[in-house]
Amino acid sequence: MAKRVLMKGNEVIAEAAIRAGCRQYFGYPITPQTEVMHYMAKRMVQIGGSFVQAESEVAAINMVYGASSAGARVLTSSSSPGISLKQEGFSYIAGAELPAVVVNIVRAGPGLGGILPAQGDYFQATKGGGHGDYRNIVIAPASVQELYELTVEAFNLADKYRMLVLILGDGTLGQMMEPVLFRDEEPIVTYDKSWATTGRAGKAEHNTITSIYIDPDQLEMKNRELQAKYQVVSEHEVRFETMNIEGAEIVFTAFGTCSRICRNVIRQAAELGIKVGMIRPITLWPFPSEEIARIAALPQVKAFLDIELNAGQMVEDVRLAVNGVKPVHFFGRMGGNLPTQKEILEQLIAIQKGEQ
Amino acid sequence: MARVTFRDDRCKGCGLCVSVCPKKILLVDKDRLNSKGYHPVVCVDQSACIGCTFCAVQCPDSVITVEK
Repeated sequence: MAKRVLMKGNEVIAEAAIRAGCRQYFGYPITPQTEVMHYMAKRMVQIGGSFVQAESEVAAINMVYGASSAGARVLTSSSSPGISLKQEGFSYIAGAELPAVVVNIVRAGPGLGGILPAQGDYFQATKGGGHGDYRNIVIAPASVQELYELTVEAFNLADKYRMLVLILGDGTLGQMMEPVLFRDEEPIVTYDKSWATTGRAGKAEHNTITSIYIDPDQLEMKNRELQAKYQVVSEHEVRFETMNIEGAEIVFTAFGTCSRICRNVIRQAAELGIKVGMIRPITLWPFPSEEIARIAALPQVKAFLDIELNAGQMVEDVRLAVNGVKPVHFFGRMGGNLPTQKEILEQLIAIQKGEQ
Repeated sequence: MARVTFRDDRCKGCGLCVSVCPKKILLVDKDRLNSKGYHPVVCVDQSACIGCTFCAVQCPDSVITVEK
């Protein structure tokens, strides 16, 4: 029987990882993500896994590199400033084509910033952050139930493409208590890991995992291989959710926590006779550009309104996708503040009146 | 007489209890920080507490104890 329990977002991430077969966790505490560690510290002992509180975020991500090289399903988690420190490791993991899952429970920045929710790490998450031409799959859940399901899925995707999968939450999702329905059996997919460095085992050659290629032609070829892989991911792994698009005159674009607020505003707006829909990217990379372009081409759609907890980051990708076909407006709050339904409704009314 | 107490270090300052208190005696204390870095909630007038337990029932992190 599937089990329904009330749990905190951060704890659900950890439980989901364990259910997905993760037995290695390396991390360093930082609010608002620390409960992931607390849960792992307790559970890994019970199930015979490894939990290490590393000396720093840099150490933790390099432990991930090591465990992943040996073929293990491995997790690390942090929050914005800690994720900045891990970026070097992200790039190495991308270069060495290792599967790994990383959780970023975003807090308000820049710098030490504050511990309240924000989405200011969108650029860092989706456009690189570390050095070199690489991509991470970036997943943005919007509920505790999704934190569970998408974390399990993240481990499958990481193994499938030998890529780093980044789960981009925020302080609200991490701290939120919601009911979550656990499946009896997880949809774990096992992928070939004959590339792992687990010893020669009688083979003439041992496996090598590296990201160094001194010969420029070799390195260029490696880069072309990576880009080809990213192209396949772009074609097959785009995920999004749409709501009320049919008949909508104004379309919200929002991810994570903001999409929950927009969902309520859609109902409020309908009472005022404003027809509003929403597209919520679930994967921030690959981005649902094609679907946004399709919506932009619909004759009844007059404008887009992008809502974020930052100064306007995803809105750039929305504008690229819309490509000037319709106006794209933006409203954001920063510093750990959330936009209220009233504030967003006022934006909608202004757009409808053509004041913006 | 009722008494309301808080396990400060579990509080994330979400303010749900503040929103349901019928006597309006709970407040997110902006002058204090707990070990997590959040402003914990505080009761500003114990004598006015009626022990309704709305706050404790509402709290998602089991921070609040109400004694009668």
